[in-house]
Amino acid sequence: MQVTPPPFDPELAAALETFREYIAPGLTADDITRLRETPISGAFGESDPTSDGYFDVDERSVPGPAGAPDVSLLICHPAGDSAANLSRPLIYHTHGGGMVLGDNRAGLDAVLEWARALDAVVVSVEYRLAPEHPYPAGVEDVYAGMLWTAEHAGELGADPDRIVIAGGSAGGGLTAALALMLRDRKGPRPIGQVLMCPMLDDRNDSPSAHQMTGLGVWDRTANETGWTALLGERRGGADVPAFAAPARAEDLSNLPPAFIDVGSAETFRDETLDYAARIWRAGGVAELHVWPGAFHGYDGMAPHAALSQETRAARLRWLHRLLGA
Amino acid sequence: MRELAGRLTALDPDAGAAVKAIAYFDRLVAERAGPEALVRGAAVLAGCPARLVDPERRVRIRCTADGVRRDDDTPPALTWPSEALSPHGRATLWLERAAEGAADCTSGSGTPSVVDSVILERAAGALRTVLDRTRGRAPGGDPGRADDPALVETVLDATAAQASRLHAARTLGLARTPKARAAAVEGGRAVLLPALSDARPGLEVFPPGPVGVGPAVPVLELPASWESARTALRFADDSGGPGAGPRVVYAEDLGSVALLAGIAAPGTEPHPDVTVLRQALADAPWMTATLKAVASAPSMRAAAVSITVHHSTLQERLAHAETLLGWELRSPAGRLRLQLALLLLHLSQPVG
Repeated sequence: MQVTPPPFDPELAAALETFREYIAPGLTADDITRLRETPISGAFGESDPTSDGYFDVDERSVPGPAGAPDVSLLICHPAGDSAANLSRPLIYHTHGGGMVLGDNRAGLDAVLEWARALDAVVVSVEYRLAPEHPYPAGVEDVYAGMLWTAEHAGELGADPDRIVIAGGSAGGGLTAALALMLRDRKGPRPIGQVLMCPMLDDRNDSPSAHQMTGLGVWDRTANETGWTALLGERRGGADVPAFAAPARAEDLSNLPPAFIDVGSAETFRDETLDYAARIWRAGGVAELHVWPGAFHGYDGMAPHAALSQETRAARLRWLHRLLGA
Repeated sequence: MRELAGRLTALDPDAGAAVKAIAYFDRLVAERAGPEALVRGAAVLAGCPARLVDPERRVRIRCTADGVRRDDDTPPALTWPSEALSPHGRATLWLERAAEGAADCTSGSGTPSVVDSVILERAAGALRTVLDRTRGRAPGGDPGRADDPALVETVLDATAAQASRLHAARTLGLARTPKARAAAVEGGRAVLLPALSDARPGLEVFPPGPVGVGPAVPVLELPASWESARTALRFADDSGGPGAGPRVVYAEDLGSVALLAGIAAPGTEPHPDVTVLRQALADAPWMTATLKAVASAPSMRAAAVSITVHHSTLQERLAHAETLLGWELRSPAGRLRLQLALLLLHLSQPVG
């Protein structure tokens, strides 16, 4: 098998060098507890949800899936004016962390940047993590949070017809699954979906998954750990549902317009490319960016790098076009 | 994990961060990152804007602490920590670190912290390497020589825009002297030499082989100096031995002799004098050295000494040569005719 990996972008390679002792490419089940406790994992999400007072921040418990606990939503809306009678766009954010790590503040900084530029409200959902809570706990939490958000958008000063769903990594996979669930269950229809380096395919067997083994961030071993935590023995088998792993969906038609990006030097490259291609084949709308030499999560870990700046700018430009802002 | 810098200094404010900075720049160099990535690295690691100003190569790059490129023409503050890219050059990397209100990073005005010093030193070293690779050799790095081929070509191209030629000349380090010379060396290659005056450089600045040197001129007139140098190259003679012409020929020494270059060229019909000279030279092994000695030495006696033969032997040889050539060699007019024939013969041969 041809396993020569694409080279990392020079700046990203240098940044990776400085993380080497904190972030290994692989992740095993034994690492999950330890990583949840180390400050470095907290550092991924260590953010100020108020953005220096720009946003008013509210944590709200809303009804969870039937028979399940409430879901916690972190709500950030521009401070200073009463929320009523406004119809801002709303970004419904689902955090990443391989289905096993993180909380609703992880990766929030990037989303709050969009909200400042777009004058939008942000809702970030807390969902139950695997392996303690296997499929479908997490994605049903995400779905329940979205239902509440769409119903109460007006209360939050937002327009229910202008909700963008967004997430990175596992959050990207969950966001893609959310789009499928909303379509199939005839729920509220988001205006767009942002899938950033999404985790879509439990089979973990693409050329990029093999090619990047032991390299960069979140390699094939880590991916297997994440999916196995979520699906147990079903992982990679014949009966994995599309709401667990969106790559398994037979039908990708009638989905909201998608913004999809991924690095060329990461495990998720090929499943992401395939997902975009299948949306187009199904007559859908998608914008795909493949950033050369980028490893998984580069824009969060090395936000200064030229490629990370380009990535952020491309996402924001798409949102501006989508929302006509 | 907002910023590399915050994290690094949080991990270990001194040694750890310094080690990380070193690893970061080493990897950027190994990956052949460009100058902007290096300046950005300095800014992000230091947590304050960084700027590179290289007046000679006209490079200005400034990045803010979040890595965004934001150039700025305001003059650098004297209190900012800085590092020169080379001991004699003017290219400098600055960290825009306010002397006040940065107690955690500076131990007083003008004394950068350990981490700042490491960042400056590593980034400046890396920038020196990268700029030499991407923008031509650093001026002043190798005094007296400027030979980046593309830049040299621009400087010597009379049809190129003046601004381009001046820029190329500056990049080659020629702008720091009032004049420069173009030299033509073996293979038709050009070498440009900064010149303080019309004084001549030492032979050691020239590569081996024949060299023609044009007059010292302002840089915009270098195309003309180059034309003269190419003509002078045709008179250069690195054959060595008695009576051989000079290896390095200055165009200003040729005077009207330079006109011969326009008459004789490789492939043109030789003058009958040249034809008989060529036949005569093939007649005896001693003929070439003897005729060259007679043509160039101040007297017959000196010519005999230079080829280490007795005066009477020389007379016998010249009598033989005169019968072959058909003109006498022991009069001023005859010697001039010999000199011209030798020069025309040399000019008719392709230059090495």
